[in-house]
Amino acid sequence: MLVAMSGGVDSSVAAGLLVKQGFDVVGATMKLFCHDEDLPDRPCCSLDSVNDARRVCQQLGIPHYVLNLESAFGRDVVRDFVDEYARGRTPIPCVRCNTFTKFRDLVRKADAIDARWIATGHYARVVDGVLRRGLDPAKDQSYFLWGIRGTILSRMLLPVGEQTKAETRAMAHELGLELIAEKTESQDICFVPDGDHTKVIARQLGGDAPALSRGAFVRRDGSVVGQHEGFARFTIGQRRGLPGGFAEPMYVVEIRPTTREVVIGPHEELAGRGVVAREVNWLVPPLQAGDELEVQIRHRARPVRGTLVRSEADEIEIALADGASAITPGQSLVFYRGDVVLGGGVIEAARRELPILAA
Amino acid sequence: MPDPVYLDHAATTPVRAEVFDAMQPFFGPRFGNPSSVHRWGREARTALDEAHERVARCLGASADEVVFTSCGTEADNLAVLGIWRARRAEGRRAVVTTPIEHKAVLAAVHEVTREGGDERLLAMTRDGLVDDSSFDKLVTEDVAICSVMWINNEIGAMQRVPDLAERAKARGVVFHTDAVQAFGKVHIDARSQKFDLLSLSGHKIGAPKGIGALYVRRGTPLEPLMFGGTQDRGRRPGTENVAMAVGLARAAELAVAEREHEWKKLEALRDRLERGLLEKLPDAVIHGRGAPRAPHITNISVPGTDSESLLMALDLRGIGCSAGSACQSGSVTPSHVLSAIGVPAELAGSAIRLSLGCLSTEACVDRVLDVFPMLVEKARRLQTA
Repeated sequence: MLVAMSGGVDSSVAAGLLVKQGFDVVGATMKLFCHDEDLPDRPCCSLDSVNDARRVCQQLGIPHYVLNLESAFGRDVVRDFVDEYARGRTPIPCVRCNTFTKFRDLVRKADAIDARWIATGHYARVVDGVLRRGLDPAKDQSYFLWGIRGTILSRMLLPVGEQTKAETRAMAHELGLELIAEKTESQDICFVPDGDHTKVIARQLGGDAPALSRGAFVRRDGSVVGQHEGFARFTIGQRRGLPGGFAEPMYVVEIRPTTREVVIGPHEELAGRGVVAREVNWLVPPLQAGDELEVQIRHRARPVRGTLVRSEADEIEIALADGASAITPGQSLVFYRGDVVLGGGVIEAARRELPILAA
Repeated sequence: MPDPVYLDHAATTPVRAEVFDAMQPFFGPRFGNPSSVHRWGREARTALDEAHERVARCLGASADEVVFTSCGTEADNLAVLGIWRARRAEGRRAVVTTPIEHKAVLAAVHEVTREGGDERLLAMTRDGLVDDSSFDKLVTEDVAICSVMWINNEIGAMQRVPDLAERAKARGVVFHTDAVQAFGKVHIDARSQKFDLLSLSGHKIGAPKGIGALYVRRGTPLEPLMFGGTQDRGRRPGTENVAMAVGLARAAELAVAEREHEWKKLEALRDRLERGLLEKLPDAVIHGRGAPRAPHITNISVPGTDSESLLMALDLRGIGCSAGSACQSGSVTPSHVLSAIGVPAELAGSAIRLSLGCLSTEACVDRVLDVFPMLVEKARRLQTA
């Protein structure tokens, strides 16, 4: 059993529970990035979490390894993150990290040591080979897991998905893992220093990249209403950083990377009646055009009813009976039925009109 | 599971029983501070003075030429920074070293550049030896210090240190060698060999971690790294670690006495290991095999595998070895040594270092010959799957 351990409370308790259940557990911490690569003699930034994971493994009496997945993570996750912003989209690197880093690259390491099982501290559940939401609705992380290969599900254990965060913390105390039991968790993206994603973009593409250069705020009618300092600073539905002086609250409703324009408009311009997604992955037998499902367009968004109107090799289009607000390219479109994750895709575009099922 | 097999002697060695016994009294009744004037102090001073003499004798040096340090890294830092800082006023602003040094030297040399000096890295042959013409080109009259490790800790490459030292000295360049891996393996004699400084480390030769030494030839200008008391002529202030100095002296004596016998024993084991591995894995590459090298280090890459997975799998089967140099987080980073001698990144990424020593037997080697090829086969199956 290989457990991916971040040094946080969730994965530590996951490891502790599995040790208690009698599994032969090996802890692994992935080293994914290093902010200080210009200073080779300085410690890595992720050192504290590695140390915490190591201490937890020592306490649990299991071996701990640090796996260097920096170059693959840089290619599959960080590079894509930057490219997506450069294309005017809002990526979710955690999805790609799960898809490529944790449940592909890490599984290869698990294979190398004959680990039959792989476990993480995600709040989601695998029940009889089916991926389901975590039991704690406030913590559910199933939204980030749609991209994994379905074949992995039979080897995957998510022990904390059966409980609430409070129960996880209580269990950490029970297991004697005081070191990490009350650790606060960061909502930030792990490789983005102090929550400012433009720093990562600037480092990879240069501070003068188009995505970080001045452009115009425009209305749908084309009128210019101000200037911004780079469209990568904006996401659909954002209100912060927009020009003022309008009769009603204004939102980012579209980003046009080729002209560097950020389109703003009132709330009703955020409304979408359909959504197109690509890179579609199914964790159950694929649905067909005409099938009903629920979709979630953002982490923590309420799932909405949808009808699959078109399904091609890699692309899918869904009609949203009740509409959805601020459908954002680059975010994930995750398909659910109740608490079962059916699959998902990356949002390509919103449709303002209700798509019609092709006959 | 069969008995665990330790094949990481280049990382560290167990403390020898003789060494442990020699240190014992200094953790008990002979606890004095060597700087004190009373009988307790005298006792400690005697042991410390003798330790200086004994280590000096092992190096063909005088007692006053030996400085005890806390480790090999401190000895390397003291040599590189101590010489550079003492000589920069002479107009010698460059420091020459190899790209395959231990980080203790490389990082100290980087520090020199932050202090305004020039860093010059020698070119290496594909087998990890210093390229002669590069040496002549870089080691010039404006160089303060040239530092070349005697035996490389990753691939075992053995430099012609006496010859290089001679050539450096001819240009007025102070010559330092990191002999942490070489001590107890090669013949070292400060009388006939011209190096000015030489670093060694206790825990590679059966003394505890936490003690090292720097040989400093008489008359060599050296700035201390720390400031405080006048211990060790001010070169290394701080109350001396008497017990460990005694331990290092004992370990050094044993290592010198057993040197030739040890070399033959390790060489035979290594040859058995390498022959066996190449027989079962004909496409494996043993780095630095074509040049003179130490008998205790084998660095092997098998295409189609990766170091990290192999190390884990070996460890979980009770075989301890290493790959590249461990980064602070403990993750495996690509070896700067292998890349410096032109090993392609892919091949370097599968490198495993097996290092033999006092715990090594034919049975250990045979165990590796059973397990290692089996793990390689498995890794390759997974790769193609």
